[in-house]
Order: sequence, then structure tokens, then C-alpha cells
Amino acid sequence: MKIAVCVKQVPDSETRLTLSGPASELDTSGFTWVLNPYDAFAVEEAVQIKERLGDDTEITAVTIGPDRVMESVKKDCLAVGCDKAVRVDEAALEGAEPMQIAKVLAAVLKRDCYDLVLAGKQAIDDDAGQVPVMLAEYLDCGHAAVVNKLEIADGAFTATREIEGGAEIVTGALPAVITCQKGLNEPRLPSLPNIMKAGAKPQETLTCADLGIEVPAAASTIVNYEPPAPRAACRIVENDDPAEAARELVQLLRNEAKVI
Amino acid sequence: MPNIAVFIEQRDGQIKRVAWQMMQRAREIVDAAGGEVWAVLLGEADAAEAGAHGAHKLFTASGDHFARYNSEAWSAAMAAFCGAHAPDLVLMGSTALGKDLGPRLAAKLDCACVSDATGLDFDGGFKIRRPVYAGKCYTDLTFSSSTAVVGVRPNAFTLGDGGGGAVAAEAFDPGLDGFAPKATVAEIQAAAAGRIELTEAERIVSGGRGIKEADNYKLIEETAAALGAASGASRAIVDAGWVDHSHQVGQTGKTVSPNLYVAAGISGAIQHLAGMSSSKCIVAINKDANAPIFKAADYGIVADLFQVLPAFKEAVEALD
Repeated sequence: MKIAVCVKQVPDSETRLTLSGPASELDTSGFTWVLNPYDAFAVEEAVQIKERLGDDTEITAVTIGPDRVMESVKKDCLAVGCDKAVRVDEAALEGAEPMQIAKVLAAVLKRDCYDLVLAGKQAIDDDAGQVPVMLAEYLDCGHAAVVNKLEIADGAFTATREIEGGAEIVTGALPAVITCQKGLNEPRLPSLPNIMKAGAKPQETLTCADLGIEVPAAASTIVNYEPPAPRAACRIVENDDPAEAARELVQLLRNEAKVI
Repeated sequence: MPNIAVFIEQRDGQIKRVAWQMMQRAREIVDAAGGEVWAVLLGEADAAEAGAHGAHKLFTASGDHFARYNSEAWSAAMAAFCGAHAPDLVLMGSTALGKDLGPRLAAKLDCACVSDATGLDFDGGFKIRRPVYAGKCYTDLTFSSSTAVVGVRPNAFTLGDGGGGAVAAEAFDPGLDGFAPKATVAEIQAAAAGRIELTEAERIVSGGRGIKEADNYKLIEETAAALGAASGASRAIVDAGWVDHSHQVGQTGKTVSPNLYVAAGISGAIQHLAGMSSSKCIVAINKDANAPIFKAADYGIVADLFQVLPAFKEAVEALD
């Protein structure tokens, strides 16, 4: 079986944004870059599938971005069990919208023909959660999104996907695209020797021209970045008796904030 | 004069409230700019109130494909609708279903796609506001395609008086004769009865490491129940295995914006704040007066949550 894991490098979730007012761009200079946490579930799932099958299953990490993304790909993909990496390096795709990314990934995946495509349910920077679903459309295959349980057998998948108030059990034939939610597995950590060896695994760098496509055009434009409106200072309900403070709080929520 | 299509999400005939919330906003826009609001319903549900919420027309498609949600079939049906009527904008809820449907539809239409919108304006063209980095920052977007698929976050818009009258349903052909989806929903499992979904909740009570052990999460749940609220959790207690991940609020969990968010025993890590800071009213209960959660809160009590929550719950229950 051939498995592709689509991954993205994102700013760490502890990252503070330095925006103080409306701006046309985001200052990314102080960012600490890591593998998107949801993509780690996709990587782990691919490795576990390969371990379960115990055959010559091959896992390819597919990514888009500048040189720096390879640090995450080596440490969090190749060093934990992915066999090789393909990266599309195209400066024009910096800050691209999900559809542009999905079109480029689709070109890579069509070239190499995979049985299973795994990805995180969303990236924690733009929070769009669109790319893998679009990818399924471009690859003309089924998908299951926001999956926290997955079984692969006999060329088909059974996925449990989170919905409001319950779960949907989605089944379909491979090839398929699955997007991974927390709870699917516990991603393993790379060992130091494996990190050292990761650099020796095959790594291919491509441009859109190599894939025989033009850089896809964007349909949307971000015209403004803005920090959330500042909140008024917190009103501390002071009372030596915490129970009394709780009762005062309830009155404030009812009469002042009018939320209960 | 923009025409705005609003997708009416139904599961088992139950219509999601977000449909009426975004219809309200759509109606406000076309009342000012001209154009019409078109409600679009796939499957069987009573959508008669669409008119009262602002729809000028109600388009419906029926058939076996709509008995249960299917991304491929439903996106094809919506694409058929868009092909026939060419709306300038398609709105759907950023729900589990909408987030699954929207990107497929946008890929079929080759148009802009926006998730989790919290603001929508029209001034010659549409401008869409949405949070990124789980709400640490907002972006405003415009688009150049002839239409766009926009997912709207539940509770982003409030219901008003709509302003429309009665509408008659008009059937459209979803073009699904012989359509065979490659993946299907084989079964739907319901969670425990009465559980309120975090992303749709108007009130949330969340617990963090301050609850000390897994068993004490029931105090959070009981307080939530008294408020008619959903129960949430910090990443710390989810990672500790005290609560299921479906309760996690934050950048690697759910992003929520209820009217009332009560954070009990949560220090307020930046990734948690990111997921809840757009809540309308935030209450922090924490022993540590220096906890960052107080900087994000509107009201606070500096005390042990075990001394506060039982009295809080009682006082809530005593309200009429």
C-alpha cells in the first residue's frame, strides 16, 4: 500500500501575535515553527497502519513550503517512520489560500498514485480545515473528516467521525482521504538516533513547473489583519466568604451582564 | 444587487439554528443593497419559517440521497443549485456538516471558500471577517470569483425579526439520478442524551487542573447542568485523561463563543485563551490572583473553586 501524509509547518500554539492594530500583513519573524499538531496524528496513524500490515507499505510525507519546513518533516515525519518526503517549494504559494494548496497537493498525489491520503483535520494557523476535503474532490475519491477511529482492511476504510452530539461511521473504498482528529492515536516521539538518520531518507523538492502545472491563482485575498477588541478590566468580586462571592457573582451575571 | 443562498442544515428533519442566524444577516444585507435571500433545503424538514427569518424564496430538493448526510451527493446537489441560479454568495453553518460540505462544493464551483466566518458585510463586494490562530487575530477577506462558499460560525449572528413574509417551496433538480458516492455514512451514533454541544452552546462551564482529580469533573458538569450549559475542559485535564477530548476548548480543541463562559480552575494558557476569548462574557474562578485567565475575564472570584462552585450552582438554581 502507498500512503501519503499531507503535512504543514505552523507556528507553535504558544505563539503570541504582535499585532497592535489593523495591518495588511502578519509579522511572522518571531515564530517558532512546528509540525501542525493534527498532522502528527496523521503521521502516527500511517506508521501504525504500516506496522499492522507488516508489509512493504510505503509512507510519503507531502508538504509545501520553504526550506525551514524540512526541519519539521525530518524530525516529526521521517524520524518517526515515514519513508520519504516530497516538498513543493514555490515562493508564490507563501500565504496561499486552501484551494491553491489543495490543487498543488492534488498534482503531487496524482503523479504518485496513493491508496490512502492522511492529513490533520485542520492547521492551527489559518484554522480553515478545507485542504483535505478539496483534495478528495480533486482526486475524485471519498473522504472522512475529523476522524478519531480508523480501520483499513481489504481495500476499504471504516472511520468514526466526530459530529455534534455523536459520531458518524463513514465507510468507503480506497483510495480515500482521511483527516485526523485528536484521540485517534498517541503520536510517538522521535528518538535521537532516528532524527540523525532521518536526513538520509529520500527527499524530493519540486516546483509547480516540475509537476506540469501553473501556480494556481487565489480566489480570495486577505485585506486586513486585526487583533481582537481589547476587553475591559476584570471585575473581581471581593468577599471573604467564597460562597457569598459566588452569590454576588450570580446576581451580577443576571442583572449587569444579563447572560443568565 | 447580491443574491445570497443560505443552506438550511437539517439532520433527521431538525433544522440547525445557525441557518436562521445567518439568514437574518443575509436579509439585512440585501435589504440595504438589493437582491434576494434564497433558502436552500436538501431533504425533508419543515422550513416554513424560512420566510419569517428573511428568505425571499425557498428551494428544496428531495430524494433518497438526502435521508442521511453525504458529502459527495450533497455537494453535487448544491453545485446543481448554484449552476441553475448563480447566487453571489452561499452561506452555510460552520458545523461538522457544513465544514465537510463547503470545501467540496467550493472545489466543484472553483470559487473562494471561507470557514468560520464571524462577520459579513457588503459594500459593492462582500467582505468576510474570520478569526485565525484560534482567535488570536482576525482577518478580513474579499474574493474575486463570481461566488463564494462561506461557512458561518454558530452564534456569530443573532436572530432578529427577520423581516420576511411567507414563502412557498420551489423544488429544484439536484441532478443525482444514478449518483453513487464513493464514501457513505453507514451509521450515526448518538452521544449521551441531553448533552449540549460545545460549539453550539450559549453557555459553557469549563474545568482545568484546579479540579485536582478526574472524579471532581462532575462538579463542573453539575454546575453546567444548573446553567443549561455545555461542559468544557482545558488541554491539561484532557491530556491527563480526566475528560474526553471532545470537551477540550482551545487551539487544539474547540473554538467557542458562547454568551457566558465560566472557567473554573483554569490558569489560562495562551492556547486555551485563544479558543474562548471571543465569548461575550467570561467568568474566571481561580485560587491564583495572578493567573492569566483574569486578564481575559469580565468577572472573577479569587478563591478555591470547591468553595465557590457549589454556592454558585445553588444560587443559579434559585433564580426564577
